[in-house]
Amino acid sequence: MSPNSGSDVDADEHANAKPTARAMPVLARIGAIGATAQASVPGLYAWGVTVAPAAWSRGAPLIAKGFAVAGLVALVAGISMERRWGIRARYVAVWGLVVTSAVVWVAAPAALGPLRLDAPRGVAGAVGWALFAFASAAPALGADAPPTARIVDAEPLRPRTHVRRGDVIYIGAAIVCAAALQALGWSIVVPERALLVRFSTLACGLALIGAATTVSLARHTRAAPRSTRSRMRSALVWGVLLVVLSALGVAAWWR
Amino acid sequence: MSYLRGMQLADALAVVLIVIAAVAFWFGNAALSRAEDLKALYWLLVGVVTVRAAVQVARPGLKA
Repeated sequence: MSPNSGSDVDADEHANAKPTARAMPVLARIGAIGATAQASVPGLYAWGVTVAPAAWSRGAPLIAKGFAVAGLVALVAGISMERRWGIRARYVAVWGLVVTSAVVWVAAPAALGPLRLDAPRGVAGAVGWALFAFASAAPALGADAPPTARIVDAEPLRPRTHVRRGDVIYIGAAIVCAAALQALGWSIVVPERALLVRFSTLACGLALIGAATTVSLARHTRAAPRSTRSRMRSALVWGVLLVVLSALGVAAWWR
Repeated sequence: MSYLRGMQLADALAVVLIVIAAVAFWFGNAALSRAEDLKALYWLLVGVVTVRAAVQVARPGLKA
């Protein structure tokens, strides 16, 4: 028996002990509190974005400030009462915040006018209220499950097929070519032309990757392989077209 | 190297055609960005035809 075995046991006990609140991750700590407390976070955000600026705006009456503070108090009261009253504490937080906010907006209607409320803040406030509604209606998040609960005892999944080495070279080279095409046309001044070049390079890159994939997969087909002559014949039309285009290009270059 | 030895002539031609298509696409898009539309059209057409030829050469089981 080693002299350190006693301290080893202590260390094991420490490792198996319940993690303290400080050591718990943030999500686990949020999961450990109730639904009202979880909903209070977006509620506080919505209050800060839409209610507080209205209550403390220029010309807002004192009653607006009072109801704004009352909404905050209702939110905090809901959290503190949740352990004792359960779901009923949620009504205090939800309806307390909603009713007091409505009173604030009625008392200071000019604060919500288009001249004072800009679009980003309006969107942020709408998102905040939507999150508050969602968090208030949804059940509370549970504490994080232990890692062993997520492990499924079964045979490892087997891939249906393996990517062969040659395929990786084909498709990888095509992806490199497609990416290289994206280097073109970044200094074009005219927006329409710049968009056209972006669209064209994207389409060309996709065509290259598609063709490389087809060529690569064609090598593994189970159908009887065709002779080289037969394959050349099937591409005859495109080959002739390519020769004609090449001849045209050479003729234009000589001129 | 064993991989290259097993490659048919048509497979090699398909690969060469795809490389030519990539070069043609590069020239086409470069011309397009310089606003040389006729040159761009020509090179992009060459690229499309070359890609199509490569696929036809490589595709198995097709009748001529």
